[in-house]
Formats: sequence, structure tokens, C-alpha cells
Amino acid sequence: MNPTTAVCGSVVEEDVQLTIVELGRACDASEEQIELLVIEGVLEPVGRLRQEWRFGGTSLARLRLASRLARDLELNASGVALAIELLDRIASLESRLGR
Amino acid sequence: MKYKDYYETLGVARTATQDEIKQSYRKLARKYHPDVSKLADAEARFKELNEANEVLKDPEKRAAYDQMGSNWKAGQEFKPPPNWDAGFEFRGGANPFGGASGEGFDASDFFESLFGRRSGGAGAAPRRRASVQGEDHHAKVLIDVEDSYRGAERSVSLRAAVEGADGRVALQERTLDVHIPKGIRPGQHLRLAGQGAPGAGGARAGDLYLEIEFAPHRTYRVDGADVSVDLPLAPWEAALGASVDVPTPEGTVQLTVPKGSTAGRKLRLKGRGLPGKTPGDLYAVLQIVPPKADSDAARAAYENLAKAFPDFRPRAHLQG
Repeated sequence: MNPTTAVCGSVVEEDVQLTIVELGRACDASEEQIELLVIEGVLEPVGRLRQEWRFGGTSLARLRLASRLARDLELNASGVALAIELLDRIASLESRLGR
Repeated sequence: MKYKDYYETLGVARTATQDEIKQSYRKLARKYHPDVSKLADAEARFKELNEANEVLKDPEKRAAYDQMGSNWKAGQEFKPPPNWDAGFEFRGGANPFGGASGEGFDASDFFESLFGRRSGGAGAAPRRRASVQGEDHHAKVLIDVEDSYRGAERSVSLRAAVEGADGRVALQERTLDVHIPKGIRPGQHLRLAGQGAPGAGGARAGDLYLEIEFAPHRTYRVDGADVSVDLPLAPWEAALGASVDVPTPEGTVQLTVPKGSTAGRKLRLKGRGLPGKTPGDLYAVLQIVPPKADSDAARAAYENLAKAFPDFRPRAHLQG
């Protein structure tokens, strides 16, 4: 194994903060879609103005999930928010059950 | 190639109205959406649903599909009859079936034999614009629990649509050796800068995002940063206490089982879960395994046990 040939990346959830432009490009989402999800509380960036928003790395998986749900089930932003809230609750209950 | 019964997939009659088809699709889509459903085959079911819906929701495609007759059975060996789509007038050009309609889905061979190969959708051809950063790409990587404990290297095969000099889109395959950092957790993403689609007009390439998935392990279960292992105990070990060896991905650890332990109890080994800035914990989940009464000596031992506990009533709580 030659360590110099392997590509090193950064762990998005721990080391990366994304601007609205970077997040949109990474998830193929528009800034308007992202803004709607911020209003609904699905995404919680730091910073007051849109240009200053910084999204934590966990936003990437959340926005991808939101986009899939919106596209596949034809949900609007509040429908997506409700679905994700319920999915989060199921996940935390399941994890408390210890499988 | 096997015939696909799109009506059966959507659970509707061949005479169903467009509204009934839409209703049934919506209901099944919510049920089998891979992000929502816990079924192992949800993803495959959802794909089938989408394909069936793609055809039946469109009155023109539906009519063409219907024209092949209703005698086909799902799974039957199938070849489209010659000129099967003759006499149909399709909106907007010679063969509108060839075009994509937005949402990406992987069409089956059956679909493609009827309606042509789909273009567009996820991972589509790069757009032609002057000096535009390349698109970001996504892929999944399957690793083992041990890889997260030690760090590892993984070869990742990637397929991407690339536009050739002649303007045609071809699938290009490439392999990338990726360093898996120690402590990575399931569901986390690795960002590889510049490994996405090439940029146009000298602009920088897009990034590649790799979603980390853990392969199921026969011994360990992973939940976030925590790892669990089932630890079988003999009844006397649980009752009297014992010091037992517990396997962990970092090697065997000695664990003291307190006396009077019961099945399902979790013993925590702090900081022995997945490593990281805040390392996870390892949980040994106690199980109690009784030996079989398959010899005279074993039976006698159980009989002695029964004699030693004349007042033991394990079902006392079931009686009112």
C-alpha cells in the first residue's frame, strides 16, 4: 500500500462549512429552495444575512434527503419539513431502543 | 428480456382512470420511498414504481404500451413486436419517448426497448457554457467497521457521463484510490476537491462527495459513533459475576461482568467505540445462554438447580 497515491478528502460533517452557493452546487439545489428550507427550520445556518450564511456539514445529507423527498413525493417545503422531523424522531426512538 | 406488467406494479386494473393511476402511484411511492421505508427491497420496488408510473401517467405512452396487448404475463420472455408503435402520433417530434422528462430514474431494459434510452437525469452531461465550474458528483463507498478504527484505503469505481469532442455523451469509468480517515462514521461524507466533473472553459473542476456506508458486520453493530457487540454468558457467569474476554475491533478486552447481571443489560466500555475527537463507546449487550440438558449429568444438574430454588417463580408477574 502506497499512501502517496491515495486521494485524501475532508470529512464534510466535521471539517467543512459551506456557503449557500457551495451547498447548492453540491446538492444541485437552487438558492431559493435552500432559503425555503431555512425558513422551515430544516437547515440551520449560522449568520444573519443570506450571503453570510454558513452551513454545517450535516446540512449536505439533510438537503439531499429533502431534495429526494420533494422530487419523488411531490412535497412542498413544509411537507418536507414535517417528513424530516418525523424521520428524525423515528431514528432517535430506534436508537434509544438499542435496536 | 422479461415483460413488465406496469399495471400490476401500480396495483391498478388495465381500465383504471388516469386519476386512479396517480392516486395509486402516490400511495405506493410514500410507502416504498427508500428514505422512508425500512424494507430491504424498498429501493428496487421504488424504481419499478417510477418506471411503471413514467409510462402509465402519460396517456400516449400508456396507449402504446396497451397496444402490445394484455396477454403478456409479468416475467414472461419478451421482444417488442415489429412496428409495435406504428400508427401512433406522438407530441413534439419523431420519438418523444427517447427524451427525458426531468426526474432521473434508471430505466430497465424492457423500458428502453420500448421507449428508447433515456438521457438526462442524475449525473447528466455537462452543460455547455463558457467558463463554468464543473458539477459536483456523488457516490457511495462501502467500508468495514475496522476501517474506521484504523483508517484505510479503498478503490472506488466511478462512472460519469462525459461529453466527447463530437458532442456525444459516453459513460466513462475510472478508479480512484481514496484514503478513508480514521474515525469516519456511517452516513458521513468525504469531500474530494476537484474530483467531480471537469470545468468548462478553464474553470475549476467540481468536487466529488463520497457517502460512507458500513457493510453489515457479523459481530458489531454501529449506531453513530457507538458500537455494540452481543456478549453471551453462561447462567452462572451472569449470576456469580465473571471476568470475560470481549472482542472489539481493536482487539480483545477483559470485561468484569458484575454478579446478578440480567439479559439485555448493557455494559459500557467508554471511548472504545469509533475513534475521533469525541470517541464513541462500545457496549457489550449481555445475553444468557443456558447449556443443553443432553446428558445424565446435565439433567441432574438442572434437577439440583430446581431443588435449590423451591420458591423461584419466574412467571409470578403474569398472574393477577
